[in-house]
Amino acid sequence: MDTRLLFLISCFIARLSFSLSASGELNSFESVPDLEKSMYTIVDGYPCVRLLNLSGEIGCSNPGHGKVAAPVVKFKNVNQLVEPSAILVSLDELDSLLARVSKDTNFASLVAGILVESGTPGGNNFKGFSPELKFPEAEFAPYQNKNFEWNPSGSGIMWKAYNFPVFLLSENSTLALLEAATKNEKSKKSYTSDVAEFGLVMQTTKSGTHDSESCLREETCLPLGGYSVWSALPPINTSTSQKSKPIILAVTSMDSASFFRDKSLGADSPISGLIALLAAVDALSHLNGLHLSKQLVFVVFTGEAWGFLGSRRFLLELDQHSDAVSGLDFTLIETVLEIGSVGKSFDQGVKKFFVHTTEAASISNQTLDALKRAQDSLKTENVKISVASKSNPGIPPSSLMMFLRKNPDSSGIVLEDFDTAFTNKFYHSHLDNLSNINASAIAAASSLVARSLYILASEKNEINDSVLTAISVNSSFIDELLGCLLDCEPGLSCDLVNQYISPSAACPSHYVGVIQGEPSSSPYPGYVGDVSRFLWNFLADKTSVPTENRSATCPKHCSGTGELCIRGETDGKGVCVISSTRYVPAYSTRLKFESDMWKLLPTNSSDIMGAADPVWTESNWDTITLRVYSVQHASYDRLILLLGFTVNTLPGWNVRLGFAATWMI
Amino acid sequence: MTVAAGIGYALLALGPSLSLFVAVISQKPFLILTVLSSTLLWLMSLIVLAGVWRAFLPFKTTPSSSAWLPYSILILSSVVFQEGLRVLFWRIYKKLEDILDAFADRVSKPRLFLTDKMQIALAGGMGHGVAHAVFFCLSLLTPAFGPATFYVEKCSQMPFFLVSSMIALAFVTIHTFSMVIAFNGYAEGNRVDQLIVPVVHLVAGMLTLVNLASGGCIIGIPLLYCMALFTLLHCGKMVWKRLADSQNR
Repeated sequence: MDTRLLFLISCFIARLSFSLSASGELNSFESVPDLEKSMYTIVDGYPCVRLLNLSGEIGCSNPGHGKVAAPVVKFKNVNQLVEPSAILVSLDELDSLLARVSKDTNFASLVAGILVESGTPGGNNFKGFSPELKFPEAEFAPYQNKNFEWNPSGSGIMWKAYNFPVFLLSENSTLALLEAATKNEKSKKSYTSDVAEFGLVMQTTKSGTHDSESCLREETCLPLGGYSVWSALPPINTSTSQKSKPIILAVTSMDSASFFRDKSLGADSPISGLIALLAAVDALSHLNGLHLSKQLVFVVFTGEAWGFLGSRRFLLELDQHSDAVSGLDFTLIETVLEIGSVGKSFDQGVKKFFVHTTEAASISNQTLDALKRAQDSLKTENVKISVASKSNPGIPPSSLMMFLRKNPDSSGIVLEDFDTAFTNKFYHSHLDNLSNINASAIAAASSLVARSLYILASEKNEINDSVLTAISVNSSFIDELLGCLLDCEPGLSCDLVNQYISPSAACPSHYVGVIQGEPSSSPYPGYVGDVSRFLWNFLADKTSVPTENRSATCPKHCSGTGELCIRGETDGKGVCVISSTRYVPAYSTRLKFESDMWKLLPTNSSDIMGAADPVWTESNWDTITLRVYSVQHASYDRLILLLGFTVNTLPGWNVRLGFAATWMI
Repeated sequence: MTVAAGIGYALLALGPSLSLFVAVISQKPFLILTVLSSTLLWLMSLIVLAGVWRAFLPFKTTPSSSAWLPYSILILSSVVFQEGLRVLFWRIYKKLEDILDAFADRVSKPRLFLTDKMQIALAGGMGHGVAHAVFFCLSLLTPAFGPATFYVEKCSQMPFFLVSSMIALAFVTIHTFSMVIAFNGYAEGNRVDQLIVPVVHLVAGMLTLVNLASGGCIIGIPLLYCMALFTLLHCGKMVWKRLADSQNR
C-alpha cells in the first residue's frame, strides 16, 4: 500500500516536474511509459519477407538475430553515404537501387535497409512497375519458347535474395520518414540522428537453413498453400446410378503475389476474373431448375502464382479419386474455360476480349462458337471477342497450362484482356489495385462467360434464346464484390461477406499464405483463409438445392447425403443445403504431411511438373516491426558517462580533504 | 540512449551524494539513520503537497504564457511547507541532541562535538537531496537506458534526461548544504542564516520556471548552478568560521 502510494506520488510529482523542469509542453505526459512511447514512433510498413525454394532463397530479411537501426537517408543523397543507412526511395528508383546493390558489394555494405515511399510516382517516365519476371512461371509452360515476354514491364526484382530488410510505407508514414530524412540532412554536425529500426528477423536466417528442404526439416518454415474451392451446378448426385454427364469446367484463380507480402491485391490479375466468375455463377443460379445436358463445375484455385499449386494438386487428387473431388472424373472433362485478367478490357467504350486457345481444334472451335454466340446476344453491350494472335507461342501463364501438361490433347480456352503481352502494367505488384480496373469490363466478361457456359452446357437444339437473353449479370453485385475484395473499406466486413463468414481481418489480401495444420478436404475453418471460406459458402449457396427439412439449423443437424452447412460461422443463421461444394487443399505435389511435419518427396516419373516445381516455402518469424526514433552518437553517450564518473569522484576527494583538514585543526 | 548514457545520467544526479555517503556518512551508523529519516520526512511532505494540489491539476493553461502564475503559486506553497517542516526537523533534532548528550553523560563518554552536529545536519540535508534526485530524476530515467533519446521542443540544445540530471544535481547540492546552514542558524540564533535558506530554496524553485520559456534552459540551468555554488560557498565559509571560533575558545 505504501509503495503504491509512493508510486502515485512520484507520478504526480513527475507530472509537476515535467511541467516545471522541462518545458510547458502542450502534450503533458501522465506517466513514464507515456514518455517512453512518445520517444518511439511506430511506423506502418508492409514488409518483404524471406521465401525459400529448393535451390535457395528470395526476398528480404534482417541479416542476423537482432533488429537493425540505421539513419534515414534520401535516395538522392545515396552517393554520400558514410555509414550503413536506411535508404528512403520512391518506387520508380527502386529497380536501379536494387540493381546497384546486387552489383556493387561496397555499396551493398552501406545499405542497412530500404524504405519505399507510397503512392504512384508522377512524371512521364513512370510506365509501370512489375517486380515479376518477363515470363512468369516459364518453367511450367507446355511449349518450348521460354523467352517470350508476356510481361514486358517485368523487372524480376521479387525473385532475388536481399540480405537486408525492405518495407513499403503507407501514406502517413512516408511523410513521417521524409521529415526524419530532412532532419538528418540539415543537422549533419549535431550529435543526434533519426534512425529507422527494422525488426524483420527471419527464423531461417537465424537457424542457417537456406533452402526449402533443410528448413522444412528443421521446421523453421512452412510451405505455401491454401484451399481451392470447387462447386457443381446443379449439385452432383453421387448416389444415383445416373450416367455421368460430361463436365464443362470454368476455372479462375484467387491468389496474387507482390514484392511486399501483405500488399498483394491483384485487382486485374486475377481478381477481376474471379469476380467475373462469381457474378456469372450468380446469374446462372437462377437457371437452377433447367435441365442442362452437361455438368457445369466452377473451380477457384489458389497458389497459382507460386508454381500452380492449386491446379497441380487438383489434378493429382483427380488421379487419386480422393474425397476432395468425389463426383468428378478427369476423363469426363470436355473443355476448360479459364477466366484470366478481364479488368482492363475497356477501351473507348468497347470491351475487347482475347481468346487464347489450346491446339485441340475441334472442341476449342465449339467453345469459340459458344463465345461468339454469346457475344452476339450481348450486342447492346459493345462486347468484342477476338482470337489471340497466331504469333503467340501458346497460351499465356494460366492454370490451363497444367491441364495441357497433364494431357496435351486437352481442350480449353483462356479469356484475357490482352493479346500478345499483358496490358496490366502493374502485374504482381502492390499497385494492381481498384484504380487499375474497370467495373463495366468485368460485367461484360461476366455476361459473356455466363451465356457461353449456358450455351456450352446445353445441346445445340436445346438452347432457348429467351433463356439466353434472360441471363443477365447484376452490376451492383459486381460493385459490391469490388468493394469487399479490393478495398479496405468496407473490405471483408462488408455485408455480402458478413452474410456468410466472420472474417479475421477487414483489409483483404490475396497472397496465398502458408498452409497450416494437416491438409484435408474438410479442414478446420480457422486454418482456411477468409476468401476461400467466403467462396465456399457463396458457391455452395448459389449452386444449392434446399433440403427437405427447412428448419434444420447447423452446424449440428446436416446429416443427410450431400448436405452441407452454409453460413455456419454467423450466429444461429446456419442453413443446411444440398450442394456439391468442396475444399481442395492446394500445396506442392512434392510435399507430404506426415507425423506433424512436412516432408519433401523425391521426384516421381508420373509427376512431370513436380520436377520443375521450386517448392516454395515461407520462413517463420516472431514479430515484424518498424520504428523511428532519435539517437545520440556513441561518443556523446560516452561523454555523459565520463561526466558522471567525474562528478562522482571529484566531490568525494574534496570532502575527504575538507574533513581531514578540520580534524587536523 | 543506451546503458552507458543511462548510467552517466544516474551518476550525474546522484554521484556527489554517493561519494559523500561513502566518505562521510557510511562511517557512522547514526548518520545513515539520519539520512533515511530525513528522506522519509521529505517524502511525507511530498505526499501531503500532492494530495492537496491534486485537486487543482492539471492546470488549464492556454498556449500563451499564463502557465507562470499557477506554477509560481505551486512552488511558493511547496517551499513554504517544506521550510516549515525544516523547523520541525530542527526541533526534533534538538530533543534528540539533548537525549544523546544525557546518555553520553551517563556512560561518561564525551558529548557531541561540533563536527558531529554538522555531520548530522549534512546527513539530514543529504536525505532531502537524495529524495529530490530520486523522485525528480531517477524515476524518469528508465527510458534513457533504451536506444532512443528525447529532446523537448523548448530546450532543443540538450536531451531531456541531461537537463533533468543537471537540475537534480543542483538541487541535491542546495538541499544538502542548506540544512547545514539552517541548523547552524537555528543553533546560533543567526537571523541571516535562518532566512537565507528559505530564500535560496524559493529562488531556486522559481528559477526552474525559466525553463518554461523556449530556450530557457540555457539561462535557467546556469543560474540554478549559481545558487548551488552560492549555497556551497556560504556553507563553507560559515563552517570554517564556526570551527575557527570553537578552536579559539
